[in-house]
Amino acid sequence: MPAPERMFFTRIVATPPALDNAAWPADALVLRVAPDEALVVATVHAAAVPDPHAIIEPETGLCGMWIDMAAAMPFLERECDWELPVERPAFAQGAVAGLPLKLWFTHERVLCVVPAPFAVDFAERWS
Amino acid sequence: MHNASLLTHLIRRGQYAAGGCLCLAGDCPHCLAIVDGVAYVRTCQTPHLEGVSVQPHPEGGLPPLESRSDRDPVLARTVHCDAVVIGQGAAGREAANEARKAGQHVVTLDSGDGQDAIGIYPGPLVVARTQAGMLHLYPRNEIVVATGAAEIQPVAPGNNLRGLVTARAAAALASDGIDLGRVVAVGTPPAGLDAVLATGEVVRFEPREDDSGRVGAVVVRDISGREHRYECDTVSLGLGLTPRDALLRMARGMNVRGVGDVLVTPDVPPCPVDGTVCPCSGVTVDDLRSVHARGFCELDLLKRATLAGTGPCQGAVCVPHIRSFLAAQGADPPAPFTARPVTRQLTLGEAAAGAHHVATPRTALDAEHRAAGAHMERLGGWWRPWHYGDVEAEYSAVRIGVSICDVSTLGKMQVSGPDVVALLEHLYPVPIGSLATGRSRYALLLDERGYVIDDGMVCRDEETRFTLTFTSGGSTFAELWVRDWAESLGLDVRIMNQTMSLGAINVTGPRAKELLARAGVESPPQFLHHSAADVAGVPCRILRLSFTGEVSFELHHASADSVVLWRRLMDLGADLGIRPHGLEALMKLRLEMGHIIVGQDTEFNSTPRRLNHEWAVRLEKPSFVGRTAVIRTNKVPLDKQLCMFEMDGEAPAEGATIRTGDEYGGYVTSSTWSPALGRSVMLAWLRVPGGTPGAAGLQVTVEIDGRPARRVETRSFDPEGLRARA
Repeated sequence: MPAPERMFFTRIVATPPALDNAAWPADALVLRVAPDEALVVATVHAAAVPDPHAIIEPETGLCGMWIDMAAAMPFLERECDWELPVERPAFAQGAVAGLPLKLWFTHERVLCVVPAPFAVDFAERWS
Repeated sequence: MHNASLLTHLIRRGQYAAGGCLCLAGDCPHCLAIVDGVAYVRTCQTPHLEGVSVQPHPEGGLPPLESRSDRDPVLARTVHCDAVVIGQGAAGREAANEARKAGQHVVTLDSGDGQDAIGIYPGPLVVARTQAGMLHLYPRNEIVVATGAAEIQPVAPGNNLRGLVTARAAAALASDGIDLGRVVAVGTPPAGLDAVLATGEVVRFEPREDDSGRVGAVVVRDISGREHRYECDTVSLGLGLTPRDALLRMARGMNVRGVGDVLVTPDVPPCPVDGTVCPCSGVTVDDLRSVHARGFCELDLLKRATLAGTGPCQGAVCVPHIRSFLAAQGADPPAPFTARPVTRQLTLGEAAAGAHHVATPRTALDAEHRAAGAHMERLGGWWRPWHYGDVEAEYSAVRIGVSICDVSTLGKMQVSGPDVVALLEHLYPVPIGSLATGRSRYALLLDERGYVIDDGMVCRDEETRFTLTFTSGGSTFAELWVRDWAESLGLDVRIMNQTMSLGAINVTGPRAKELLARAGVESPPQFLHHSAADVAGVPCRILRLSFTGEVSFELHHASADSVVLWRRLMDLGADLGIRPHGLEALMKLRLEMGHIIVGQDTEFNSTPRRLNHEWAVRLEKPSFVGRTAVIRTNKVPLDKQLCMFEMDGEAPAEGATIRTGDEYGGYVTSSTWSPALGRSVMLAWLRVPGGTPGAAGLQVTVEIDGRPARRVETRSFDPEGLRARA
């Protein structure tokens, strides 16, 4: 199993309406991790978010890896206390194997995102 | 399942050697054995498999703790369902069928099938042990407990003999083809089994003449008080029922219901007169009388005083009799013990199944430190370099040349919004609104009681945007603290915790500016200023401050750039004698300056005055968290204060006791040998002796480790702080 690698996101904290109405880059993956926070796998410019006080920062403190669903589900089902979403695509986050994970489920794959300070532990626990 | 149980197999083969009344239902401790190296296995609930190893528990002692490490880890499986039904007797099956008819996803558990529900936790979560590992069940709708009722065991002399069985167990053994010989039945007779009925209360069980471990007769007393002796091979005991309701009782307040016999009113047996009440802990009726006479008159007190009910059966055998005993002393039969998970013995492997140790985060430079030979420790909730092998050299690099330190673990937070000044004015005891853009200020964080909970820097980036820093160990709490106050005050702010996103490297030493200049920063910020600049090609926010006492620049940057920045700084400073320093050197540096670390040098009730940090609180501010408490406590005579001490010789251990004359005077919180001063320096809590309240009462000379130490009002090293501002 490959180790997760650093991913580039843009991290935005803004009012919920501003995030609801943001002009995200076309085809960019947007993970709404909180009502007032989003992670976007693309560069986002301030003008895209209608909140003059929004905090928009490049985020390199996250690591991630795409895993085939067939390989991911046995691990996730064993290591999640919480109920995994069944619809696709879907975003979920919570403790997985005791680590804070964000999960993006597509039909075929799942993107596992872990804070870089826990990437080593994630790789160990996945194996 | 009885015909397949290990216990039945052992009895059939004449290999069951222990004594006591068998229940064959998992309630009593009498069939426990070491099976394939695992102790406390209920053989009546364990399927018999060929080749299995069975050993009895040692008499008069605990089974040995297995030290094998070659067992496969026990797996845990998580299942989300609609309902969990525990127990698959008639009532449990009916409950499960009803739920399934209603379209629910039902998981059933039955101990007869080797599925022990061992606890119900808030969630709700049902944890069960199965042959295949542990099950963690999360039912969305309800939990049904249908665990039935246990048969009451006899308490009388001889109740540890073989040949005693409950009525249900007698019927089950007979149906399995076990020859029980001449059976005498006391109480409810066994179904489908010919037995001599003995009417009355059990007085004692007598051993056989040719086998002192096996019952040969039972003596009962009839209602007129006469005793009758019945010779037998087996005694069947139908003494009443008591509900197996531990799971129900531990789940109070959760959506859990009982069905069937688990709801029966418990029978109360006759008050025990003689014999063993609790076979697990060896508690006798005489023990109960003894502790009761000493005032242990309640069920839970009797439990704690005698340990009755704390053994493998968790009170299944003894509780009915203890309740009866207490009722005979004039009380109503008390409710059973408080029930808590777990209801069954678990191996350590089972208890640990599915659990992970708390992961300690690593900075982006973790591998860099390890490659440099750093001794890594868990400090402040992170893996951090304690030293790189030469603490003196690391210290000297800071004091004489230049050094870098990984401070990525510090809490880092951006806050913006139209109400950001109002929020920070409320949170901090120093002025915020007057802080100019590009300026930074050290600040304590107080709680409502005026106690110091953290400290750090407040940096104004723009009119309505700030960067806050916190201690490494306090950043998570600080985020919650800031968010809670923003929400409760209804303030319009945005909060981004960047602790795990940003790396931070502290460049410090008299030649720090020279190094930064080589890295392309010709005009670094002045003391307590900050600015943005590329450092060796890496975009950074540069904070000018000092914890080491030397010129220091904290370089905050994207953590993905940490390794590049670290290596470039090391390369650029090679001819300056640069070397990284770990926390051990940092402790020396900051203690020479008298700088505190919140958490290490503070106590839970450290006010700014007790910390000798009144200078960091501006009471002229009309309002901030903790202000009222600080004003109030400032009027109370000072009882202790964090003071700086110096002494000759090696540093005392942290935690060392301070003596003032013959009295306890406090203790050391941080200590180190100071290379700059040639003596030890330390921070310590010093009590103000009674009768001399106030700072004036603080002793100047004390004893630490039996050696004289001096309290110093002002640090000896660079008292004016000129080096940091250079």
